[in-house]
Amino acid sequence: MNNYFDLKLVELGRWIEAFFAHYPTLKLVVHLLLCTLPLALSFMGAFAFTTWLERKGLARIQNRPGPNRVGLFGLLQPIADGIKMLLKEDIVPERSDKLFHFLAPIMLMIPAMIGVGFLPLGDGLHALPLDSAIIFFFAISSLNTIAVFMAGWSSRNKYSLLGGMRAVAQMISYEIPLVLSAVAVIMMAGSLNAQEVVASQQISSWVGSGNILQEFFGRILGWNVFKPWGFAGFIFFFIAALAEANRSPFDLPEADSEIIAGHLTEYSGFKYAILFMGEYISAFAIAGIGVTLFLGGWNGPVFAGLPWFVLKLFSLFAVMIWIRGTLPRLRVDQLMGYAWKFLFPLAILNIFLAGFYHFLERQWGTAIAMLAGWLFGFGALQLAAIALSRLNQSPTIRSKRVYQLVE
Amino acid sequence: MIVAFYLLALIAVLGAGLAITLRNVVHAVFSVLLFFSALAGLFLLLLAEFIAAVQVLVYIGSVGILMLFAIMLTTNVVGDPNRPVQSRGWVWGGLAVVALLAGVLLPIISRTGGQSPTPLSDFNPSVKQLGLVLMDPYFASLGVIALLLTAGLIGAVVAATGASEADQAKTVPENRPRFPNN
Amino acid sequence: MSLIGKGILKGMGVTAKNFFQSYYRKERLPTVEYPEEKATINQFSRNFPFLLYDGDDPVDGMRCTACTLCERACPPQCIYIIKDKDENGKAILSPRIFDIDTSVCMSCQLCVEVCPYEAIRMDSAFELSNENRFEGLLLNREELLKPNAYYHEIHPLEARETDDRMAAKAALAEAKKKARQKRARLAAKNKPPPGLKKTPPTRKKPPQREKSE
Ligand code: SF4
Ligand code: SF4
Repeated sequence: MNNYFDLKLVELGRWIEAFFAHYPTLKLVVHLLLCTLPLALSFMGAFAFTTWLERKGLARIQNRPGPNRVGLFGLLQPIADGIKMLLKEDIVPERSDKLFHFLAPIMLMIPAMIGVGFLPLGDGLHALPLDSAIIFFFAISSLNTIAVFMAGWSSRNKYSLLGGMRAVAQMISYEIPLVLSAVAVIMMAGSLNAQEVVASQQISSWVGSGNILQEFFGRILGWNVFKPWGFAGFIFFFIAALAEANRSPFDLPEADSEIIAGHLTEYSGFKYAILFMGEYISAFAIAGIGVTLFLGGWNGPVFAGLPWFVLKLFSLFAVMIWIRGTLPRLRVDQLMGYAWKFLFPLAILNIFLAGFYHFLERQWGTAIAMLAGWLFGFGALQLAAIALSRLNQSPTIRSKRVYQLVE
Repeated sequence: MIVAFYLLALIAVLGAGLAITLRNVVHAVFSVLLFFSALAGLFLLLLAEFIAAVQVLVYIGSVGILMLFAIMLTTNVVGDPNRPVQSRGWVWGGLAVVALLAGVLLPIISRTGGQSPTPLSDFNPSVKQLGLVLMDPYFASLGVIALLLTAGLIGAVVAATGASEADQAKTVPENRPRFPNN
Repeated sequence: MSLIGKGILKGMGVTAKNFFQSYYRKERLPTVEYPEEKATINQFSRNFPFLLYDGDDPVDGMRCTACTLCERACPPQCIYIIKDKDENGKAILSPRIFDIDTSVCMSCQLCVEVCPYEAIRMDSAFELSNENRFEGLLLNREELLKPNAYYHEIHPLEARETDDRMAAKAALAEAKKKARQKRARLAAKNKPPPGLKKTPPTRKKPPQREKSE
């Protein structure tokens, strides 16, 4: 009964395909459509819903009610926005590189959508079940950078260029801690296959046992966040993912108080909507891979599968919104320093921690490994973090400050 | 399969050709990226997913971006369209390319005799096997490379940390510019 | 240095508190959703002037005497007054036309300060937007006239004070009139007793309205 939804959905797909059993070519087309279309549509729907969620959440954090005019609780607001975007004039700057200006939104949407395809949404719900899905995901998501560069460079606007530059620098820098914190998971799961990574996050001896309590907790306690290296890795991953997705507090490429809207400055109308959607969907994709790697994927008690994945995805996004409502934006130099001098060494250390944990688990069993991992591992990480932040502090100048214009 | 191969091959050749003929440097870099992605597609056709992923990750995600980042800051990306590009040595260059291509292709053709080899029946490529190969016969070289990279990274971190506290505190106050009327 | 990220967690706690409390605590969600719900107006707020009348009929009870003091005092000159005349062409002490152009008025309240008859006051109505750009904001006499009760409603303190002052003035006028009548009666009796000439009893002499405004 556990994977009920997923099984039903897979069955539904088979059922639809069965109609075309006599026409192999048509069947292939239908199969491809079934793999892609629902995915694309549901993520676009999720995008619309998330814009509403974000506006509502931010509003409540800032003691405002948020959108509440269109539909119940303003739920139809995204539709109204979409119509508005569609009706707006599409302005292309006179001296812009017209081809690239046109291509950039498409280039952003393509990797975002492909990245979503690599996510194991449920048991058997996997659009691109490649053997090396995870590394493919990171490869594809690095293409975002190119789209942002295109948008920023082709606009021929200084703010766009600045935004593009910031985006490229930031995305390159944060990709490294992102991948490194994922490496620990891949190492422990022993596979690059997303489904296997998900499967590794069950306590396998408990899940099949038939004991209700063990069935219940076996699907929760096996998640990687509940392991010392996984917890630390998840935090590093999440921070890096925020930067990869250009989300606050790393939204420097679009810092509206500094450079208008960064690479989006010269976009309007539907192209802007597409760019915006691309950013959200790549944020979804990154959050989704975070769920897969650390939060147990579609594992969960009672309704394992799609419902759990969706729940986790939206909770992760809610945390992103929460962070956006809380933290101020970083400075550019702080941003790069944070990635290279803080997150990166810690992520490497975390890989060692994972290896240490693995060794302990083999040698003395899970309980001792957990204990030692949490105690020593976290102590080590904390110490390293403190040491790094000490090391990275800019030197304080203790000489007396001279105010030249005052004297 | 065959159609996909020819399509990707066409894109690859087109991308490579455009990369050397386009006058706009940014466009040229993007056609190189097009070439890279077509190559990744070809790897995928060979069922070498991992290589394809690495192709995308390293060549498009890093090398391409690096080139773009350098070019982004140049003011004049187009150059003078009226001045024709002339290179005396193009004949030699062409010959070198042909020689290289022949050097790579001829042995292969001679070995297979112009016939495509029969597909392997128990071919099961996986990342696991790749990992096993890397960890078993090539472990030593892998270790050396890893060590080298780690040393490089630590060096980079040290270089990025900057001057020590004492150094900076010493130099800053004396070097302050003073207003002439003060 | 304590635990890394403690400050961030603290900040997140603050925003979370804001988020959840906005659902059940009024002070965390002070927004007034305007068209359905109107903001409470402070009784000392003001924007544009209106004319006061007593009694039931706006035109008959109009306090304004068309003295044009306000017209002359108004800095941007947005008041326009034409005096009324009767059939014989004699001026009547009331305006035939009294227009205020609210698109020009700068809400300085000078017209209120100069009016000797307490006839013009500042209103606090704010929903004045209009479809007609030119005539819509030019308020005429009928639109400007509002009853004293309305004044009491919007500015209770000020209205009570005005009423008191007017009552005192009326009382003073009454007393003066009585005194004059008394003097007239005494004069008619033609018996001026030198020692008896005293002023009428002004027990409740109210403080005179300060004219410094
Ligand atoms: S408030 Fe000032 S500007 Fe407005 S009508 Fe009165 S005197 Fe004129
Ligand atoms: S409102 Fe007052 S000041 Fe103005 S004309 Fe009438 S009586 Fe005179």
